[in-house]
Amino acid sequence: MAEQRITITIDENGKINASTDGIKGEMCLAELQELLDENEMMQSVKKTDEYYQTEVNRNSNVIKNKQR
Amino acid sequence: MSCVVKTATPFIDKEILCLALEQIGCKITVQGDSIITDIQDRVMGYQTFERDVNGKYYLAAYSYTDRNRADFVSEIGKHYEVLYQKKLEEIEKARQEAIAEAERQRLEQERIRMEEERKAFVEKQKNSIIEKAKAKGYSVKETMANNKIKLVLVRYTY
Repeated sequence: MAEQRITITIDENGKINASTDGIKGEMCLAELQELLDENEMMQSVKKTDEYYQTEVNRNSNVIKNKQR
Repeated sequence: MSCVVKTATPFIDKEILCLALEQIGCKITVQGDSIITDIQDRVMGYQTFERDVNGKYYLAAYSYTDRNRADFVSEIGKHYEVLYQKKLEEIEKARQEAIAEAERQRLEQERIRMEEERKAFVEKQKNSIIEKAKAKGYSVKETMANNKIKLVLVRYTY
């Protein structure tokens, strides 16, 4: 049984910082995009080494949206 | 040049005229539009200011010589002008303070509106994420730290 963990931080202005852990490959980014508002403007997407390791369980991705 | 005429200060403000009279030592009694001074004459009685049709107060009864009359009115006029200017300045100051207070209240309302709008947005944003996460099978743990909302979403796959 593998744990999939998403940590989302929303600051007082609504700016979001989100990271995933334990979600395979590109699914981590897709998962975040589904959770966030579809109109959310992404400021940066940082792909860690784990993002490219599609065969292992531990993948991660960090996503930030633009400040309003 | 045939003649030069200078008129006295027109006394149009009753309150200021009364103050001016008091400043030169007159005791006064106000009866409607009449301002009766304590300056008494054997022939004319108490010297009185009356209001004319144009709204100006004039010295209605004065038995002194013209020179004395002019000096008396001129003396009142000096005090009247100073008091009139002072009143105008006080009104202007109060007006400016009222404008500043109204502006301060307007800005405070605007600040409150923006603050409420921001909080409502963040709350809606958070609730939307929680709702979607739960629909996708995540358990959600919410904490608050440093004015930031932290959501930890966890689910298990086989």
